[in-house]
Amino acid sequence: MFPGSFMMGAKDRLLPPSVPYRFFVAAVAFHLLAWVLLLVGNDGVLGFVGGQGMVLAALHLITLGTLAMTAMGAAIQLLPVATRRPLGPIWAIKLMFILYAPGVALFAAGLAHSFAWAQHAGATLSVAGLAIFATLVGTNLRKVDDLPGVTRHAWLAVASLIGLAVLGLLLVIDFTKGFLPDHMAAAAAHAALAGYGFMGMLALGFSYVLIPMFVLGSAVPDSVGKRTALLSGLGLALGAGGALAGIGPVAALGIILGLAASVIYLRGMLASLKTRMKKRLEPFFRMVWIAWALLPVSLLAALAPALGAPLDPWAGLWGFLLVFGWLLSFVTAILQRIMPFLASMHSSALGGKPALLSHLSPKLPVDIHLGCHAAALVLVSVAIAGGWVWPMRLGLLAGLIGAIAFGVYTIEVLRRYRSHMAAAAAANQQG
Amino acid sequence: MNTQTGALLHQAHMTTIEALQSLDELLGSNKKAPAKDDLLARKLKQLARILKSEVESHFGFEENHLFKVFVEQGETGIVTMLTHEHRSILPLALQVADLAVAAAEAGFTDATWTEFKDAGAELVEREIFHIQKEEMGLLSAISALVDPETDEELADIYRREVG
Repeated sequence: MFPGSFMMGAKDRLLPPSVPYRFFVAAVAFHLLAWVLLLVGNDGVLGFVGGQGMVLAALHLITLGTLAMTAMGAAIQLLPVATRRPLGPIWAIKLMFILYAPGVALFAAGLAHSFAWAQHAGATLSVAGLAIFATLVGTNLRKVDDLPGVTRHAWLAVASLIGLAVLGLLLVIDFTKGFLPDHMAAAAAHAALAGYGFMGMLALGFSYVLIPMFVLGSAVPDSVGKRTALLSGLGLALGAGGALAGIGPVAALGIILGLAASVIYLRGMLASLKTRMKKRLEPFFRMVWIAWALLPVSLLAALAPALGAPLDPWAGLWGFLLVFGWLLSFVTAILQRIMPFLASMHSSALGGKPALLSHLSPKLPVDIHLGCHAAALVLVSVAIAGGWVWPMRLGLLAGLIGAIAFGVYTIEVLRRYRSHMAAAAAANQQG
Repeated sequence: MNTQTGALLHQAHMTTIEALQSLDELLGSNKKAPAKDDLLARKLKQLARILKSEVESHFGFEENHLFKVFVEQGETGIVTMLTHEHRSILPLALQVADLAVAAAEAGFTDATWTEFKDAGAELVEREIFHIQKEEMGLLSAISALVDPETDEELADIYRREVG
């Protein structure tokens, strides 16, 4: 791996701020809406193992709306910098957003209210947006041979994206046509490819670049990235394949390979942290610790239904730990860090001193988000495991308050950035 | 880090980060001006020496020698960004260094402590963010973009001019 590739050429390859930020703002809005829907449809959360309604709509607002939306916004900015190659025309990125964001909203509305037309139209638009994303990323990666730790995971993410999109479309059509032999099995494979495949592989690949940079730690050796990519690829094929075919032991073998990959990944990250020059970790790292702790826990929880434990509560617990525990914690941690980071990079465009990160990032909203997110994870997990209503409601309320706090943080970062730029413009006019 | 120049710059960053973290601890553990003693005076003099070396010799080496090599290869973006940051860090670091030297001699007053604290906190943040970019960008890129002969020449210049 060529660790210097991240910042080298960064300034030349920064997109106009409005391009990545539209994805980040949409991700934060869908995050908030998802918790609202979960609270509104809280009766359906306990015992949820699939089926249309508020819970499935909220789940897709998080996966498509928050996780994938953030991944798209981050990837379009970070990938060309990391690979030192252009990603593609800005009009294609804008078209991707124009198709994808309304597509996710329409799809979620269709799931929430069982409108088949909205599901089909929303899914089509979403998949069209994802197809542009996969094309842009694939085209960029084809020219890269010096970043195996990042690119192999990104390729796995693209392959998983194709698989999850095909399965997702089949599942949507199956709601009205009922042609799939086993809807639940297809849904489990779709979830594994989406969670560990598409999002998980992007998270691992970008971790190898971002985490050492943020903590000033040593670069993760290429051998670690190659090993986690190999194990993850095999794990995904066996895990998703086993789930789709309804062969539990094969799926369990895939999960064990995934566990091995996650252990190697975490050891690589911890080795980088140990060598770090910055002794005090920044606040966003608290969410990273939660995410890292829940990655292997989610895989352990996945073993239970794969080995024949009842879907209620095990499938629900697995899904919650995967989506809200590992991925949402990781994605909100990275969002919390890269929104002010990019704003600071852009803030010297009009001359003058770049804005300080501490001036761009209000602390209270992220503290509230951390507390509420952690409380939601504990309460909802306990409620799913025990079948208890009140911990569930309290947990969902905590999640909603956390999402509001994160929304306030996002608005405040953007407001402070604009205020810095307005002051710089005024200083330019006077000077 | 497999170039001599990269290793030398990295070593200087380590020293600067250590000094900045020690400054951060000093600022964080004293709400009011700390009393003058020999240990504090020694720390302040050492801080001033490291800061001056970082922003005068180290920045000077990068701008006068290293960046030119990158510009010749068309990598102007990061050079512009880092040079711009040098311009905002340099006066701040010199201000903190001057205040530290004065305080090592005569101690802090409430007013000079407030000035030292404000400038010091801003310096810690700007300089660490700057080093972050250099560590993950500039240093490793030397191995990709600078040939061994030029690396040898640059390292010699660094040892001569920075020490």
